[in-house]
Amino acid sequence: MANVAGNLGVGGQIRLVAELRWRILRNHLRRKNSKLDLIGLIWAAIFSGIMVIGLSFAFCWGAYISISTGHFGWLVLLFWSIFLFWQVFPLFVAGFGATFEFRTLLRFPLSLTAFYLVGLAYGLADFAAIASICWLLAIAVGAGIANPALLPAVSAILVLFVFMSTTFERLLGSWLERLLARRRTRELFFGLFILLSVSVQFIRPLITRYANGSSPSSVLRFLPYLSPFPPSLASRALAAAAGGHDATFLWSVTGILAYIGVFSALLWRRFAAQYRGEELSEAAAPARVASRVNSRTDSSSDALGLFSPQVAAVLRKEFRYLSRNGFVLVSLLMPPILVLLFSSQFGGPHPSVTHRGISPDMFFPGMMGYLILMLMTPAYNCFAYEGRGIQTYFTAPLGFRDVLLGKNLMHAGVLVFEVVLSMLVLALRIGLPSTPVFIATIAAVIFAVAGQFAIADWVSLSFPRKLEFGSMRGQRSSGVSIWVAFGVQILLAGICSLILFAGRWTNSPWLPAEAFVALAAASIAGYFATLDVLSGVAEKKKEILIETLSR
Amino acid sequence: MTDAAIVTQKLTRRFGALLAVDEMDLQVAAGQFFGFLGPNGAGKSTTIKMLTGLLAPSSGRVQLLGLDFSSHAVEVKRQIGVVPEGMGLFERLTGAEYLNFVGRMYGLDRATTRQRSEELLEFMQLADRPKSVIADYSHGMQKKLALAAAVIHGPRILFLDEPFEGVDALAAGALKALLGRMTERGVTIFLTSHVLEIVERLCSHVAIIHKGRLVAQGSLEELRAGTRGEEGRQTTLEEIFVSIVGQDGSERPQMEELSWLM
Repeated sequence: MANVAGNLGVGGQIRLVAELRWRILRNHLRRKNSKLDLIGLIWAAIFSGIMVIGLSFAFCWGAYISISTGHFGWLVLLFWSIFLFWQVFPLFVAGFGATFEFRTLLRFPLSLTAFYLVGLAYGLADFAAIASICWLLAIAVGAGIANPALLPAVSAILVLFVFMSTTFERLLGSWLERLLARRRTRELFFGLFILLSVSVQFIRPLITRYANGSSPSSVLRFLPYLSPFPPSLASRALAAAAGGHDATFLWSVTGILAYIGVFSALLWRRFAAQYRGEELSEAAAPARVASRVNSRTDSSSDALGLFSPQVAAVLRKEFRYLSRNGFVLVSLLMPPILVLLFSSQFGGPHPSVTHRGISPDMFFPGMMGYLILMLMTPAYNCFAYEGRGIQTYFTAPLGFRDVLLGKNLMHAGVLVFEVVLSMLVLALRIGLPSTPVFIATIAAVIFAVAGQFAIADWVSLSFPRKLEFGSMRGQRSSGVSIWVAFGVQILLAGICSLILFAGRWTNSPWLPAEAFVALAAASIAGYFATLDVLSGVAEKKKEILIETLSR
Repeated sequence: MTDAAIVTQKLTRRFGALLAVDEMDLQVAAGQFFGFLGPNGAGKSTTIKMLTGLLAPSSGRVQLLGLDFSSHAVEVKRQIGVVPEGMGLFERLTGAEYLNFVGRMYGLDRATTRQRSEELLEFMQLADRPKSVIADYSHGMQKKLALAAAVIHGPRILFLDEPFEGVDALAAGALKALLGRMTERGVTIFLTSHVLEIVERLCSHVAIIHKGRLVAQGSLEELRAGTRGEEGRQTTLEEIFVSIVGQDGSERPQMEELSWLM
């Protein structure tokens, strides 16, 4: 061998990784279908920029007021809000843009130290870290304006805080990666995460009901319990520096350093395991040979005998996919939970948001409309989970209308289940509306759903986006499908509102019901009429479908 | 050829400026074990996709079993089986569920589908993990399942894109025997593989595609007759392949340029 690889150094390696991430993102956006993503990204960048700059002023002002008026207790809120944003936000946004598997770097000649440092630096390259650092700088500016003598101490505290937060964020990420390596655990975790997010919404109604109103002081009362943690220590160190309490300052800084030590040791351990080639895949271990299942004669009648074998096969397959997608399955609990939440906020005898409860005649159509808005969104990317299996639909001897019909029927089944469940919750919480409103709403739901299926199928065929099973990070439909879904739903909501209000204006309670029944019938007929047209669209779009979903 | 199973006439496919398949005229007789070869990027997979309805040709015609594909797509698909590139599996179904799904998609009744699924899973040695979803299968197991799905409806033409890649030696032997039996019973098998020894052992006829154009077609004997090998020894398919594809020298890596490696 004539020569061997040279030694690049950690700095060079970090620069290479940054360059690699940038090139991956750039090449991702260059793809034909990513033009709209680029527009979306530019919009997101503009909004994010405005948010970061706006909040920077707020943090600067907060730090200035806190130090100049001696209200040091407020500093803790600033540090905690930055810390929580830094740790939680990456979970939501990591997948927006190109993904990069950091551990693939292990194939290159990196020392463990270099791997650790590159990994740590990598943690500074996401939006949450950049935004948080901007806000911390704003705190430094605010503190500096209030008391210029504080600047050295503030700088030291903020450097330590950045170091601690980055290390903790990477530690959290790497442990989550390990814990969520198995699909089932991942699905369960994300499902619980969503439920938790929704459950947080109940806090305010509960406080309103049982604690006679909420106030900032109730939050401040809770803060002393958080004093041993890093954000509280950072704020205490800053307050001590401003107040000239050197011992407290030193103790607080030592506390942050201790946290850095502990987090660094744990992160080193984690990265060392990865460096050694830790296996996180979920491939099953060699299984013990199971006893053979004897061939059974198939005497049971087919529960789906009403449909053609192809439609029945698609329906069964869709049901199995639904039952195995823990994330989607758990998210099906959301509609009744949301109905419960909104009914406690806006309806019933003790609404927490309004003074008087909204009547069932108003609440019921609104709630059903919201449910349809939420539940129909996945229909606009209905091939998302097919993966390479999409090819089977094109090699099998069938018209694509059977596939669409099977998928839409399954979706309609889920909708019926959810709507009935939510209606039960509504009936228990605030009661059902009058008969004309009830019939009008149900007919409007049928009209909206059947009408949307035809458009959603076309969007699914034309702008597909692959989604991963049981995963939340980076799982979103294409920009076009999101905007079309939004536009169609706004349009349908407008039509439905107009008809409902027409009934009120003309004082004809049965007018909306009659109009919606007619529209629902037309919508169903229109849906079936479009199925063959959509089969033709599928044939034309099969290349892009296969290419996108098999990737 | 009177009983041609596969006929293409001036079959062409463009991807923008790239001409992936260029006016290909191909004929495969019924019951032949046909090997379709070519270097990477020559247009093999594109051709298979056009022959199986996964990709529309830019121009030209495809006839399978005497039926024009574009006007009789469903009738043609009923009679062919495919193991596409990437296998085309629904990875969140179990093996049995997937075979049941495919059987029903091909219009088999439930009892027949279930019986055939069980027999195929048994034959492919996949019956031991009834609860595992396909995503948890090894690559070789997925390949065997894709093969099982391709034959469940008893096709008259079988298109196989790299069917033995990742399949263990025992299973590969059984599969080869099965495919041999199928051709004896009149099934046409259209196979692509980069392992030329496999093609040489299994196939009676071979076509070679290079830069989108069909550069050779015929029985192995016919191709051997057209290639001069060492005296006293039968020319191997690899030698035929290299002599045809590497004729202009552009395909042979220039070792001198990698002197730093040696």
